Amino acid sequence: MFNLHLTAEQIEFRDTVRSFAMNEIRPLAIHPERLESFDKPLLRVLLDKASELGLRTLTLSEESGGVGADTMTSCIVFEELAAGDVDIAIMLGQTSLLGDLLFDSWMENDQKVSFLPQFIEDETFHLSCAGGIPEILNSWCYHGNLHEKPKAELTAVRESNEWIIDGSVSYVANAPIAELFIVMAETGSNGTGADGTIGLLVSRNTPGFTINASKNAVGESDINWRHGCGTGVEFNSCKVPLENQICKHEKTLVIGEHYSRQISLQTAAINLGLGRAAFDAAVEYAKIRRQGGRNIVEHQAIGKKIADMAIKLELASTIIWKAAWVADHPEAVADRSISDLPQHTIASIFTAEAVHEVTLIAAECFGAMGVMRDMPVQKYVNDGFMFLHSDINDITTRLPIAEKVVNYRRSKAA
Amino acid sequence: MDFSFNEEQRAWQQKAREFAKSEIRPISIQRDQIEGGFGPWDWEIIEKGSRLGFRTLAVPKEWGGPGTDFVTQTLVMMELAKGDSAICKAFSQNWKWSHLIASACNDDQKDRFLKSFISDDRYLIGRGITEPNAGCDNRLPPKDDPRSGYRLHAKRDGDFWILNGEKCFIANGSVGSLFFIDARTDASVDITRGGTLFLVPKDTPGFRIGKIFNKRGWRFYQNAELIFEDARVPHINVVGSIGTGSVKAGGGDTTGGDLFGDLELAANAVGVCDDAVEMAMEYADTHKRGGKYLIEHQLIQLNINEMNMLTEALRSFVMRVAWEHDQGKRSATGVLMVNYSTDVIQRVTKLNMEVHGVQGSRMNARVDKLVRDAMVWSHLAGDTVLRLKAVSKLDFPHAKSRNTEAKVTTSEAAE
Repeated sequence: MFNLHLTAEQIEFRDTVRSFAMNEIRPLAIHPERLESFDKPLLRVLLDKASELGLRTLTLSEESGGVGADTMTSCIVFEELAAGDVDIAIMLGQTSLLGDLLFDSWMENDQKVSFLPQFIEDETFHLSCAGGIPEILNSWCYHGNLHEKPKAELTAVRESNEWIIDGSVSYVANAPIAELFIVMAETGSNGTGADGTIGLLVSRNTPGFTINASKNAVGESDINWRHGCGTGVEFNSCKVPLENQICKHEKTLVIGEHYSRQISLQTAAINLGLGRAAFDAAVEYAKIRRQGGRNIVEHQAIGKKIADMAIKLELASTIIWKAAWVADHPEAVADRSISDLPQHTIASIFTAEAVHEVTLIAAECFGAMGVMRDMPVQKYVNDGFMFLHSDINDITTRLPIAEKVVNYRRSKAA
Repeated sequence: MDFSFNEEQRAWQQKAREFAKSEIRPISIQRDQIEGGFGPWDWEIIEKGSRLGFRTLAVPKEWGGPGTDFVTQTLVMMELAKGDSAICKAFSQNWKWSHLIASACNDDQKDRFLKSFISDDRYLIGRGITEPNAGCDNRLPPKDDPRSGYRLHAKRDGDFWILNGEKCFIANGSVGSLFFIDARTDASVDITRGGTLFLVPKDTPGFRIGKIFNKRGWRFYQNAELIFEDARVPHINVVGSIGTGSVKAGGGDTTGGDLFGDLELAANAVGVCDDAVEMAMEYADTHKRGGKYLIEHQLIQLNINEMNMLTEALRSFVMRVAWEHDQGKRSATGVLMVNYSTDVIQRVTKLNMEVHGVQGSRMNARVDKLVRDAMVWSHLAGDTVLRLKAVSKLDFPHAKSRNTEAKVTTSEAAE
């Protein structure tokens, strides 16, 4: 049964976030000093305000005290938020998904008792994950074995009743704002019997755990290329109690397919919000800018641009909704209503490409103003490039779709 | 057909290549990353380049310049732009107006301005046509609206003209010593009949620099507001005659506009593409993904192929137009070429970004810079309008019999 109706609740939620994004976030997000891509300040106050709307705990289950939104709802809501500001959406989205993963599936009861109340009560409490976030290296091994087993960045050694963590991670999303970290560390074969990746809960102020000052965004050889916020972290004989280990029963803990799918869909929705912001800006401008004896929206050349943007955004929205709905209704794949291709990958790639093009077209509507730093549209262009070249989308990301089409099975050996 | 360069052309090419490599490239990223509109600017590189002849490259021999041909200028721009697109543009912008001085100014004006231009390493030239409400309209003025186009107003007062109004995005605005200013001397007719071109030195009373624009790309290159408040410009600074339309002030020769201007952007694009191609090939040859060197991956091979293919096609196109311009040929080819260069530079720099990808949370700074610089092509000289203008220059088989209206030609490119 094909039905695109949102529930009354979804529509209300969307409208609330939309008006918050338009009225409160956007005016501050497009302040000229935030438009300089090299070093933009965080909008901490707005981040906290957005948390109060329930966005920080959006996907956390209701039993745990969250909103309990399904994938579809979270995509709709994060798209709206991102139309106000992409960075705020990315930071909240990260905490929201990690909250679900941690409190609803990875933590045991006594751990929940220790950490959950504070997480729920404190609107500034964010989550972060250090180490073990899957990279997109698999897609570089199309129709072949995985050649690069990512080297463990962090190690954990058990000594009496503590785990001792060592090592560093060059970039950890949300690290500057997170209170609690999921730390994925390799135990190695050190005679303790354990041999694999374990997950440990580490609070921000644990001795031996250093969160680097945010790395200078600009460098001679490279520049910051992430949305939201993040920085490097270091562990020097950082001791955490044994009871901070999560999923003790798992020999090797992996951040699984579910999380990968959720994060890529959520990011696609945020990416779409960016596209809408660019589109809105271009349409507004085209309606008032007068050249060629009429408002430029009346020229065919601009009409084509606006129509092209609308087509791209509508199609991106369609595939995101479809992929989100499939994520919420796996039975639709099981009963062969929908193909078993990775819809989230398709949605993510299509959206990144479509929105990238939308931002460029939108900028073109502004003529010379389109490259001026004090105009939001050039930031949208920059953001669009970042979504297209990210840890979720790169030149090879589409290849696993082809592997799936022919049911290629990678041998386990890596 | 003969594709070889003469001694002089090769010598300038070599000189530019060395200057780009030893002086421009080492400061390229550093200047690009300084925030603010004026911040990235650096007089030292301008002076160094000027002493080597790159500021005055297009000044004719009889006025003390090297009198290089279009082919030489094209070769030099390709080399300088490979070092830094924006720094190259800061030099070549002066060539554009050197062409205009040579073709449109009288001997007295040449004597007064060209001599200072040649002798002073910091003497830069700009042209102000664009205004907040007059961008595309200066290039393709709508036939049904004579008021459209620039509004900066000039009123005669004895031996002087009093200028009032404002220009924006003017190249070299914050650093120029001399500006060609398009002004309305008759507001009742369109700009092709009511416009006049003036020479305005920077120390003209009533003339000042306003905001300096801060851009996403070409950060080194200066664009500024020029503000005229009862600015007094002597009548002897009128270029050509009053009310001929500022564009046609040079008796129909607009080398400052289409002949050189199109070439300038397209040649600069070739330099940027060469840079991107070299970076991508070096990176692909030295970095691994999925256990293999990038260049061993077919997707990367396809990118490298396309980057080389487009760059070589653009180079051929540009060299052909440079040669045609040296023969004095004018056609739609120049504007078609600049439109093509816009597509190519953006495609090639994006493919370079794909080849590099993201490393953790970081992007190669130069890869990003090339993408940002390339974006500028869509936003100067009225990109969409240039595409439409190309069509207006083509010969349609039935146009003569159908078109009774006078063909409006406003050929220029004064970004």
